[in-house]
Amino acid sequence: MRKSWKKGLAVLTTAAMTTAALAGCGGGNSSTTAAPESTTAASGETTTAAAGEETTAGGEASEATYPLADGGTLTYWLQLNPNVSANYTNLGDTELGKQWQKETGVTLEFQHPAAGQVKEQFNLLVADGNLPDIMEYQWVKDYPGGPEKAIRDGVIISLNDVIDQYCPNLKAYLAEHPEVDKKIKTDDGNYFAFPFIRGEEKLRVTVGAFIRSDWLEELGLEVPTTIDEWHTVLTAFKDEKGAEAPFCFDWDNFKKNNIVMYGHNAMYDYYIDDDGKVQYGPVQDNFKDYLATMNQWYSEGLIDKDIATLNGDQVTSKMTTDKAGASIGWAASRMQVFITTAQTTNPDYMLVPTPVPTLEKGATPEYGFIEDSFPDVGAAITTSCKDVELAARLLDYGYSEAGHNMFNFGEEGVSYEMKDDVPTYTDAVLNNADGWPLAQSLAKYVRANYNGPFVQDGNYIEQYLQLPTVKECPTVWLAPGAEKHTMPNVTPLQDESKELATITNEIGTYVDEMVLKFIFGTESLDKWDEYVQTIQNMNLERALEIENSALERYNAR
Amino acid sequence: MKVRISTGEKVFRVCNYIILTLVALVCLYPMWYVAVASVSDSNRLMAHSGPLLKPLGFSIASYAKVFANPMIVKGYGNTLFILVVGVFLDLIMTSLGAYFLSRKGVMFKKPIMMLIMFTMFFGGGMIPFYLTLRDLHLTNSRWGLIIPFLISTYNMIILRTSFESIPVSLTEAAQIDGAGHFTVLFKIILPLSKSILAVMVLYYGVGIWNAWFWASAILRDRELYPLQVVLREILISNDTQAMGSGGGDAEAIAMSIKYATIMVATVPILFVYPFLQKYFTAGVMIGAVKE
Amino acid sequence: MEGNSFKVRLRKDFRRNWSLYVLVLPVLIFYAVFMYKPMYGAVIAFQDYIPARGVSGSDWIGLANFQRFFQSTYFVRLMRNTILLSLYSIIFGFPAPIILALLLNEVKNRKFKSLTQTITYLPHFISLVVACGMIKDFCLSTGIFNDIIVLFGGERSPLLQNPAYFRTIYTASSIWQEVGWGSIIYLSALSGVDSQLYEAASIDGAGKWKQLLNVTLPSILPTIIIMLILRMGSLMSLGYEKTILLYNSSTYETADIISSYVYRIGLLEQDWGYSTAIGLFNSVINCVLLVITNKISKKCTETSLW
Repeated sequence: MRKSWKKGLAVLTTAAMTTAALAGCGGGNSSTTAAPESTTAASGETTTAAAGEETTAGGEASEATYPLADGGTLTYWLQLNPNVSANYTNLGDTELGKQWQKETGVTLEFQHPAAGQVKEQFNLLVADGNLPDIMEYQWVKDYPGGPEKAIRDGVIISLNDVIDQYCPNLKAYLAEHPEVDKKIKTDDGNYFAFPFIRGEEKLRVTVGAFIRSDWLEELGLEVPTTIDEWHTVLTAFKDEKGAEAPFCFDWDNFKKNNIVMYGHNAMYDYYIDDDGKVQYGPVQDNFKDYLATMNQWYSEGLIDKDIATLNGDQVTSKMTTDKAGASIGWAASRMQVFITTAQTTNPDYMLVPTPVPTLEKGATPEYGFIEDSFPDVGAAITTSCKDVELAARLLDYGYSEAGHNMFNFGEEGVSYEMKDDVPTYTDAVLNNADGWPLAQSLAKYVRANYNGPFVQDGNYIEQYLQLPTVKECPTVWLAPGAEKHTMPNVTPLQDESKELATITNEIGTYVDEMVLKFIFGTESLDKWDEYVQTIQNMNLERALEIENSALERYNAR
Repeated sequence: MKVRISTGEKVFRVCNYIILTLVALVCLYPMWYVAVASVSDSNRLMAHSGPLLKPLGFSIASYAKVFANPMIVKGYGNTLFILVVGVFLDLIMTSLGAYFLSRKGVMFKKPIMMLIMFTMFFGGGMIPFYLTLRDLHLTNSRWGLIIPFLISTYNMIILRTSFESIPVSLTEAAQIDGAGHFTVLFKIILPLSKSILAVMVLYYGVGIWNAWFWASAILRDRELYPLQVVLREILISNDTQAMGSGGGDAEAIAMSIKYATIMVATVPILFVYPFLQKYFTAGVMIGAVKE
Repeated sequence: MEGNSFKVRLRKDFRRNWSLYVLVLPVLIFYAVFMYKPMYGAVIAFQDYIPARGVSGSDWIGLANFQRFFQSTYFVRLMRNTILLSLYSIIFGFPAPIILALLLNEVKNRKFKSLTQTITYLPHFISLVVACGMIKDFCLSTGIFNDIIVLFGGERSPLLQNPAYFRTIYTASSIWQEVGWGSIIYLSALSGVDSQLYEAASIDGAGKWKQLLNVTLPSILPTIIIMLILRMGSLMSLGYEKTILLYNSSTYETADIISSYVYRIGLLEQDWGYSTAIGLFNSVINCVLLVITNKISKKCTETSLW
């Protein structure tokens, strides 16, 4: 059944090329039987599409009427989010993909790299020279040398004129949000991408720690707020509750977000100190104290013995079967999933988020995790694109009101309804008929739970985090000083970028290795000075110099 | 027929059986573990630690979920296509090369051999290879996973060694009767080499079945993905280190689903072997007939 | 004179073997297009290669890429780890399938033999991601290996977090995965051994051990030698995949090898020239080793690859 529906769609896709009136499956929560209806819907849309008028005027960014009248086809390369690829082979097959094409009037041919091979395929494509029209990528972090180099290498185009002429919606947003404006420009003032923007602060605090509140209650303990209290709690978990790994998380994912580290006012990477200068975290004295604490906890059996080799499903397993009592992770896909999974066998199971601890009781946490409001995912137009205006119009749609609702909430009447002026997901999303996890059923209709060329809406997270205890996460996790100490997405100068990458990689390898050795006790902390000296010898000085000047240029944008 | 069996030999035989049984158990257990885990009850599997000998409960729900993933079925189709066409073409090309290299008294045999051997230890690297595929319009196509990999030099050398061991008298007799090289290869050499060809089918077949890197590098259309790329995506999604960046906020895949996926992607190729096994016994007979 | 005789030989050769050359033509084309054409691209090892500008447009920087590798903080460690890991695989991994084949060859019970054979092939059919996932599970402090260690009075420890165990785990798991599969080639060779030779030997009163030394081994020696030469020729080219699936930063000390380093630093950073230079360096060492092994083998056993 599903297959024939897909086939029907494929035929439709080709048929509707010119009119660009791709049929979204009209009504109904279950889309599997919608083939006949969509055919009629398609012919119905054709007229609407033809009615759309597009006006182009010089000077001011011209408004466009969606769907665009003369449509067209664009190739669009992006990583398919795992929540989508669990059920679809192509973003164009999802309800969102169909709606996106229908509402903009542009036919999109999506191309996706295999998960885990994104960089490899991207690099080969760049070498190829024959690029898709639009590419979503982490241009600052993953394009060696950064976006300015991507422009000069002839991979993507500078968007300054494009935004000026064709993108009234993005232009208006950037005018209102100068702090975002400077993030999507290079040091030379070139716009490089249509950004994904986290629209509210609560959307930016995505990672934190949580703990078994039913155990705390049983043991008569409070939610720990200092490092010492954490020690007491974890020890109690081990001794009284028999947890074999009281504190358990996947090191590779969260070593840079460890709350114990934040609690010692330490950072794992480059960060900004109180004087506004860039520093390297792992050589500071605070970091040594952090390692001492971790080493002590590890030797006392409070931290999972296997912490360096764990992956997601093993953490899930330990957290849901009383082997571990506290963890670090995402609010929805970890904490909320743990609670719902464990409660099927243990109704008393409950987790609460914990704030970043401090050394002294009652102090305010200075360091913590907060993501940049532009998390470095942007859709860029490549030099291979023949119809830049069309691509620009397509991408600008995400910043209009209609596009905003589409990316965040999907289709009105299908995936959301307005309740008291608030877009509210329907049962099609929240209790889907297929029995998919919430993240997957969201990904069928929206891109709010990952990224894309639009501004993420805070209302989404309110509904995605369903349990009251999980809803508290962003507020509890936020450390007031976090923003000030976090490095923005700076870019080094072209001739510096390779040098910086080499130094940072060498140091990073060494630090990753030594940190674990210090924690496991295979290397004594007496060797700290030697360790710091080794890092200095790897030319940390020069790296800091490059980072500092990059930060200055960033601040001056 | 039998002579006396000495005590030493008896001891050897017993030990031999014991050792081989142990080896077999060690090789079997992981597969057994996966099979058992894939039909186990998801919750009980998570709580379990230590060796797993029999299923914890019984549920095929994970298989239902695996087959609900449209990529799995498509992956099967693509892999099957590449496998059948690929192995067939691989065998022909490899035989041609091996036959040439096994002939005696050919002037350019040695330089050609050297040129071929050289490629085993020397390569151009990813980018130039990729650009070659692009120039031949082999990117984003299943043929791009067949044509550039037609010959494995290693396999060709094995085949050459086997061809060389075929008595020259047989081919000479045919050539005196006026048979050309084509006839000699396809009518005499290949029929005599069934056992080694069966091995080749397995070598190439398993190679193709497990290949994933170039598929993930050149395919942008997910409809074309072979099974291993799909499997890999599912398995490493829990493992950020292997994922690189872009893993991120996604729910871990349940353990039993992971194991069911492994079964689905591994069991079919296992069935190829028993089918080819009879040629292995035939190989023994050919060996015995030899003068 | 010399040229003349060469021409004569050439003409003779073509008259006699022209159809053979036609036969091999597709193979030659294959090698030219997919092996030699890309090989020209290896010149980017001497360039600051920028894909958009191509080989002809990129700047030549001489040996700078090589220098960068030799001067890297980790050069010595990477070399040591690569060579040691490879030697481990040769010393322990190479004889394993031969021994298995010999043992299987002694089994008279056909059913047992084919069953054992089939089972030992199993691990090879498991793809590397899956195999490494299992190894990681088994090496956890709560995993099956630790269950066994405890059984013998040892203490639980996370095995894959200890640099001292990495090479053992790597090599042992490779043997586990490849031993059955690797034995195919030797079993085939063994099946070709003339049974009359055995009968003659046993009439002469030779025991199993003597038969092994005097009949079996000499018969399969050419196969063994060729396999060994080939193996030596790829000493430096250990793949990165298994390493990056098994290692973590706490085991870098023994686990990090050249290819995993290139993967982390060269490939993912678009540093094509650099990664090609290291590949070139590996290839050159491989070729040298290959030539040496072949020469030794030619002298000692009269078997050689060419």
